[in-house]
Amino acid sequence: MAGKFNSDLHLDITAFGGQDADMCMNCGTCTTICPMSEDSGGGFPRRVIRLIQTGQQAKLEESLDPWMCYYCGDCTTNCPRQANPAETMMASRRYLTSRYDFTGLAKLFYKSALAEILAIVLVGLFVTGLFVAFHGPMVLNKVELNTFAPVHAIELGDWIMAAVLSFFLLAGAARMTWWTLGRRNMLRISPMIFIQQIPVFFVHLFTQKRWHKCGSHHSGIRWIKHLLLVSGYLSMLTLVLILLRWFQTDTVYPFYYPQRLWGYYATIALLYPTLDFMISRWRRKEPIHLFSEASDWIFLIMLFLTALTGIMVNIFRVGGLPMATYLIYVIHLSIAVPMLVVEVPFSKWSHIMYRPLSIYLAGVKQAVGAARTREEQSAEKIAA
Amino acid sequence: MESMKQETVQDSAIPHTPRVGVYICRCGGNISDVVDTDHVAEICRLIPGVAVSKVHTFMCSDPGQQTISDDIRQEKLDRVVVASCSPFLHELTFRGAVMRSKMNPYLYEHVNIREQCSWAHKHDPRGATAKAIQLISAAVGKLSHSTPLEKIRLPNHRRAMVVGGGPAGMKVAADLAACGIPVVLVERSDRLGGKLPILNRLFPNGQAATELAAKLESQVLSNPKIEVLLKSEVTTVSGFIGNFEVAIHGDFGPSGHATDIHTTVGVIVMATGFKPYVPTDGEFNFKRHPAVVTTVDFNALLSKQKGDARTFQFDGRCIRSIAFIHCVGSRQVDGVHTPAVDGRINTYCSRVCCTTVLNQALQVRQRFPDTRVYDLHQDIRTYGRGHEEYYTDASRAGVVFYRYHGQEPPEVTNTNGPTSPLRISVKDYLSWGEELEIEADMVVLAVGMTPGPCETLVDQLKLPRGEDRFLQEIHPKLRPVEISVNGVLLAGTSQAPMNIQETLAAAGAAAVKARAMFTTEEVELNPYVAEVDAHLCEGSGACLTQCEYDGALAMVEILQDGHTVRKAHVNAGLCVGCGACVAVCPTQAINVSGWRIDQYDAMVDGLVRDLTPTTI
Repeated sequence: MAGKFNSDLHLDITAFGGQDADMCMNCGTCTTICPMSEDSGGGFPRRVIRLIQTGQQAKLEESLDPWMCYYCGDCTTNCPRQANPAETMMASRRYLTSRYDFTGLAKLFYKSALAEILAIVLVGLFVTGLFVAFHGPMVLNKVELNTFAPVHAIELGDWIMAAVLSFFLLAGAARMTWWTLGRRNMLRISPMIFIQQIPVFFVHLFTQKRWHKCGSHHSGIRWIKHLLLVSGYLSMLTLVLILLRWFQTDTVYPFYYPQRLWGYYATIALLYPTLDFMISRWRRKEPIHLFSEASDWIFLIMLFLTALTGIMVNIFRVGGLPMATYLIYVIHLSIAVPMLVVEVPFSKWSHIMYRPLSIYLAGVKQAVGAARTREEQSAEKIAA
Repeated sequence: MESMKQETVQDSAIPHTPRVGVYICRCGGNISDVVDTDHVAEICRLIPGVAVSKVHTFMCSDPGQQTISDDIRQEKLDRVVVASCSPFLHELTFRGAVMRSKMNPYLYEHVNIREQCSWAHKHDPRGATAKAIQLISAAVGKLSHSTPLEKIRLPNHRRAMVVGGGPAGMKVAADLAACGIPVVLVERSDRLGGKLPILNRLFPNGQAATELAAKLESQVLSNPKIEVLLKSEVTTVSGFIGNFEVAIHGDFGPSGHATDIHTTVGVIVMATGFKPYVPTDGEFNFKRHPAVVTTVDFNALLSKQKGDARTFQFDGRCIRSIAFIHCVGSRQVDGVHTPAVDGRINTYCSRVCCTTVLNQALQVRQRFPDTRVYDLHQDIRTYGRGHEEYYTDASRAGVVFYRYHGQEPPEVTNTNGPTSPLRISVKDYLSWGEELEIEADMVVLAVGMTPGPCETLVDQLKLPRGEDRFLQEIHPKLRPVEISVNGVLLAGTSQAPMNIQETLAAAGAAAVKARAMFTTEEVELNPYVAEVDAHLCEGSGACLTQCEYDGALAMVEILQDGHTVRKAHVNAGLCVGCGACVAVCPTQAINVSGWRIDQYDAMVDGLVRDLTPTTI
């Protein structure tokens, strides 16, 4: 067995925003109330809190349970000890994100808002600096964005960034997979099982349909808002990463042209939920928005500003304001790039990978268990 | 009692033809639904010597008892048999009834025809009826050979000996002395207080143990009726209630060196206390790692902590985490725990350790917030008033609890040398039986209680001990501080694991019981003891070889017809009337009063008496 014991695990989790887990007396009310707990078989949140209380760091790292929670807050509402299990689950997701990341940057950013802001500012200044140094000629009598910032150069930058971010995100995903499937035991799992479960990953990446089981009556609306946000994000990702040559154009297409419609949809899909979530966090409307860490705010603000500056680029371009367009374009990228660089592999945004991956890995584990049961049954039959 | 002595003298001559009254109880149907009580009464009239034979629905009722009284007067009865329920229930009732009618109470016989006839043979009414007749016939037979008996009266020495100067002993001595009873308090060590002073802060009120010990001690020392003998031990003890002869060996008196004191006391109170369980070498790494200590050691460590450090200090080191393990030496499981030298394991719960651990754990968390506390238990048994609060408070103070099963106790391993943390693996049932590992800088073993040293008194007074080796009371509820040896009382943890509160309550009860034993000038004992017929005794000494009660029988030299002869002599205070001597006497010179051999013969005759009338 041998578990890595960490007597300060509860303090670590507190540093990631955990609250009052020490108050938990393991009554299990949270687990009974949670509608997601039963079918994932882990007995969370109780088990997660127990592992934290008892300093079982290795067991926590091996657990997928934190990712199975979608934070309805029912457990916190009903906790007889006010131990706030939901926030502990949230904090353990942050903690796990920092553990999956081998660079230590995630840990730094989660623990220090200052470090995260500084990193964003530095990357932003770097991007601004690149434009100051290497921008193309500024045509001022009409808007020629592709002259100011040639699309092939931007595309190259996109791809380099995507490659770097993917590397860090995949490295985290690999560590998560290695730990949760039992390290060396993982090598014994049939590759077929890994392949068979792949659709699970994409279904959950695009739909987050597990959310439907989540407890609170707000969950349905929240899921729709979140789905909207995801669709906006994935749209933008597609537009800037794959379709940039079509998307970043100096031609002003008619309003109904798909390029513009899709862009507007994505903008609304990003602006509305982020604004809504910020208001909710500000007013503490829902249990999930009661406690906001700096990382939560930074994520929302950056995403909102990215979308806002993005649509302003469009407005100025269509409105025929060259200087304003170039300027806001630089600002737009000086916000979007650091947001992606910092948030995707090292902070809150990484959940785009870890959430669907956790469900995929749970599926793999289940399939392994089922296969083992089948083997045992056939072995029994042979023995009989 | 006094009147009885005078009145019964008239009955002492055996009448040539006894007049026996037989009373058969229906017990409201309990008996008469099976046993044909009217028929029994009718047949019993045929037994020689029976003057009256009657049936009553409830003999124990006032009218029932009145019938007996009336008949004794009017019919000149001199013997009475009641055939009813168990003698446990009403023998004393009817003895009292005949006594009030100026009859000797030992000329009364009780026959149980309910438990032994109607209840035992309810499907065989005819057999039950016949058996009832036989039992009554035997009782009548016995009675015709009965002689009036008197309770044995012996001097009652108005002085008590309390063995043990711990909290229980001090409380008994103080309470008894407050009632005016002189007390000799015998304490083995050189101070009073027993294990009380080592307890640091007492639950449930957090009082300093030394403060309580000082209070009790001053109560003892300030009372001139208490003679305190320190550094002394009881070496021999013999005798019986009211008359215990005691020899005490110790360093007392003006000379200052060891001497013996001989004294007589009426009552002995056993306040011999407990010994904390000492873990065996290597049990949870005890004695192999300096930071594995017992709760007793930990009390001392707690009181030695100095300054305002935020971390518990031990051996000049900061202790960042402490693991308490419950049930060490208690609730042991056969096959899991190593038996003690006598081959036994301690299966009992020591009761005080749970609250002790929580008390200590809470103190650690409150005084040393940077020291983490783990609590490994089977159950949390905080049963007393104010004890559960320790659990609640400890839990709120961040003590982390683990629960193990008795068959799978935690394992403690030494990771790397005497200053390195200890690794504890536990199958934790609060985590669904997961195997968890903990690292702790210190391990505290919550040791239970084992009986304190009291072998001398146990052996010499033949005091019974329970399966757990603690002294055994007569009845856990009805006679909780008495032991089967009359005149010996139990106080505190000599009897069972108890906390201070219970110990002092038990000691108070023992003091009152002891006080009650001094209400009379004399001790009254039942007369069912051996008696020697000096004319028949030839001094063979066979009886002595069988007697198991020290001092109950002795050979004495007496002057008979001008010659000195050896005869057996009974010490009525020590004889229990077992009858072992009767069986071996070659001349049938020794008998148990009230149960003499001729009475048995008569009972057998009665049992086989042919009473079958033509009507059956």
